[in-house]
Amino acid sequence: MLEARAFEPEFLRKLDRLVLGIKRARTVRAGQRSLGRVQGLGIEPENFKEYAAGDDLRFLDWNAFARLDELMLRTYRADRQVEVTSLVDASASMGLPERDDKLGLALAIGAALAYIGMADNDAVRIAAFAMHRGTMKLEATQFHRRRESYLNFKPFVTAVKAGGETRLGAAVDQLLLQRRRAGMVVVISDFLVNEGDVEDALKRLAAARHDVKVIHVMGEQESTASYPAGLFRMRDAETGEVREAVLGPATAAAIRRRVEKIAARVRGICTAHAITYAQAFGAGNLESFMERELPLLGIVR
Amino acid sequence: MGLLNPQNFIYGLSLALLVLIYLRSRSRPTIEVSSLMLFDEAPAPVASVRHIRIDPLFWLEMLTLTALTLAIAGLYVMRPPSLGHGRSHALVFDLGAGMSARDASGTRLDQARRDAIEIIDQAPVGDEFSVIGYALEAQVRHPQTANLADLRKALGELVPMAVPARTAALRAALIRARGAAEIELFADRPPAAAIVADAGSTARVNFHQAGAGDFNLAIVSLDPGIPSATRGRAVIRNFSARPHPCELAIDLGNREQFHQTMMLAPREQVVAWFGPLPTGGVLHARILTPDAIDADNNRYAYAPSDRAAQVLVLSPDPAVRDDIARVLLAVNANFQIETADPARYLVQANASGARAKPLDLVVMHDCYVPVAGAASTLLIYPPPVAKSSPYADGIGISVGGTLASAEIRGDATGESPVMESLALGATRIVAIPEWMDLIATATGPGHSSIPLAAIGRAAGGPVGVLAFDVRDHLLLAPDHLDALVLTVDLIKQLTAPRDILIVPTGADVTAPATGTARVIQPDAGVRTVAADKWGRVRIRPLQAGRYTVESGGRTTQVLANYYDAAESDLAAKPQAEASAPAEKAAAASNAQAARQVQPLVFVLIALALLALTIESAMLISHAGRWGMRHV
Repeated sequence: MLEARAFEPEFLRKLDRLVLGIKRARTVRAGQRSLGRVQGLGIEPENFKEYAAGDDLRFLDWNAFARLDELMLRTYRADRQVEVTSLVDASASMGLPERDDKLGLALAIGAALAYIGMADNDAVRIAAFAMHRGTMKLEATQFHRRRESYLNFKPFVTAVKAGGETRLGAAVDQLLLQRRRAGMVVVISDFLVNEGDVEDALKRLAAARHDVKVIHVMGEQESTASYPAGLFRMRDAETGEVREAVLGPATAAAIRRRVEKIAARVRGICTAHAITYAQAFGAGNLESFMERELPLLGIVR
Repeated sequence: MGLLNPQNFIYGLSLALLVLIYLRSRSRPTIEVSSLMLFDEAPAPVASVRHIRIDPLFWLEMLTLTALTLAIAGLYVMRPPSLGHGRSHALVFDLGAGMSARDASGTRLDQARRDAIEIIDQAPVGDEFSVIGYALEAQVRHPQTANLADLRKALGELVPMAVPARTAALRAALIRARGAAEIELFADRPPAAAIVADAGSTARVNFHQAGAGDFNLAIVSLDPGIPSATRGRAVIRNFSARPHPCELAIDLGNREQFHQTMMLAPREQVVAWFGPLPTGGVLHARILTPDAIDADNNRYAYAPSDRAAQVLVLSPDPAVRDDIARVLLAVNANFQIETADPARYLVQANASGARAKPLDLVVMHDCYVPVAGAASTLLIYPPPVAKSSPYADGIGISVGGTLASAEIRGDATGESPVMESLALGATRIVAIPEWMDLIATATGPGHSSIPLAAIGRAAGGPVGVLAFDVRDHLLLAPDHLDALVLTVDLIKQLTAPRDILIVPTGADVTAPATGTARVIQPDAGVRTVAADKWGRVRIRPLQAGRYTVESGGRTTQVLANYYDAAESDLAAKPQAEASAPAEKAAAASNAQAARQVQPLVFVLIALALLALTIESAMLISHAGRWGMRHV
């Protein structure tokens, strides 16, 4: 559905001019949050400098020594590629309301960010998580760097189905167990889970020195509470819990208030941990979200 | 309140259907949502609104269907009858033998009659009365009328009968009186409380007990013995709680054979021995001491003649011939019995030509041989009709087959005692002609009722039929006493004199007649009865004594005996105590008795129409509100 939009050439052309807003480090300094490898391990020549005791003799430029009779070291641009992971919530709540296609929106955003990341030859992947019968199921694609291989994401993206429970903390645990180097993790979810789980997961991602971005997706019907009026039995898609409710203007207002509270809460958590937070409410706003919202927030440039 | 047609309450299922439709239309749809967290601040629904939703159209439809269902089921209420003019009364009289008991002021029926006239006289002008009598059965003697002269005349025509008053007849009489607002029941003993309570559900029952005395003597039985051989005996019973003398006389024809006065202790039963009688004939026992009931002071019996009677027994089975001969000798020791195998008998009869002596009775078992000159015939286990040897025209029976086993039904009629169900062996399926009277029936595989014993008077003489086989000493088996009783009854009836019939009162009696017959009753009343196409008249003696049937120069005496231990026992409890249960039941029932059934059909239909009208008005209103031209 909407995730297929992420592979349309017209949509991709609009993304061609965007790059991920990642702080890349030329050097490694303690205490500074920057991403990238240590200097000197790249392959692109950058500069020359005089030899000093302790420098790696492998980088001596013997031709310069022959001409100038001075020991010169050739320096290389550091390898600044970053691993980018789009972590998409694929729990049952992402599949409802159906007409909102929240999961499609989340996958499209995740795939679009992967496409953008490929512009800098960053290693990108897309992962989806959901808790099924007490077991966290975190599925991820392989890392891809070149845009020619972008279409390799398509089978994964189109195969993801909503189901199971949202357990953000468990998903982050499993992600961290992979012991990848610090990179960029874009968490895309509706965050309809308890506050503690969200905060704990985001905090641990940040503690692992990942550059964490949070994109909060909600459906239009869900966020505006545009349900038919009447007495209904409401069933939670994840827990199966049933509650009766009289839907009407008062309830719609209450639901809208509740959505705002949840968004404010997630935003508060992100702010507290210096995490970029973006709202993508409504599947119809995909393109404007990618082209305007994300650049404003600095997630892309 | 109740239902006249409760089975129609099944239409109430339409209510369940309506409720199902309603619930389905009101069932809450389930919406699956991403998370109930979003509804945390939504207001909770109010339970009362959820369960008892006020939907006037639904309740109006419920009301309509309920009213129609109750109308179809016949809902009624009990309501007091309208007082004043035109109130109906039923005067129900016990006409059993007990009501003929004499007290100081006449019979008990006279006393009841006086009480009834008093009620009639005191009733408001315009009240209507009906007169119903019962003994063996209930009979409306006079329908509802306000004509007092006709009522008095109908009351004056009531006479007690020499039969017991049956409980079933009382129930039937009360059922026939149900249309009345008040039932005045006149009887010499209180009825069962349950009967009064049943009748009291629709009408007020007032019980009036007639008579209180208990002095009555009765002849329980009379056995003439065998003339010149054994002594006869009469059994006398004193129903009183005090000792009483009893003067008993026994006549044979016009000659007195026994006359003695004896003293009977309270409620004592004594046996008076007499004889042996010098000869056979009609024996008449009389109690000459005046007592309450006359009907049980006379009893007739027939002493068989000491003339040797010729009896022929034919059976292919020698054991059966022997058994039947024993039974015949037990019935009458003067029988001269000849037994033969039917095959040999035919050969001998053909060889010797016509028989020299006429036969009084021919008993044929599992065979049929036309025997000339037989006064009466008893067919036991008659064989199926063969084309070569059909039954004589006078016999008139046909045999359709054989059942391997049959069972006597307990509803045997006639003088035989009421029998329990008894398993028999092989039994013929006999079709009896209309002129024969059925005495007993049986059930068998595939047959709900087949004739087992019957008797009738054919042109050639009386004919009796026993359908069951008597092989294997059935008649002598103590477990099959009912079969023996049936056989003995038939033999007695077949060998009784043709012009004398001794029967119990209330029994149907068939007497030979041609054209019309004059029946002279014991009270010297005469009536004319037309004979049927088989040349017989049927009468039902309801008085004890001698009935004479005269027709075509032929006279038949019907001697009716009455005795009923319950009816003749006048020693009822003291009136106040005895009538207490009935009066108590009457009082209990009268709390609701003074009410009558009032169907509510019209009210319910009117209610349904009203509900439909309101619903239509509401729908029209809704249509206007919704901008629709019609609903």
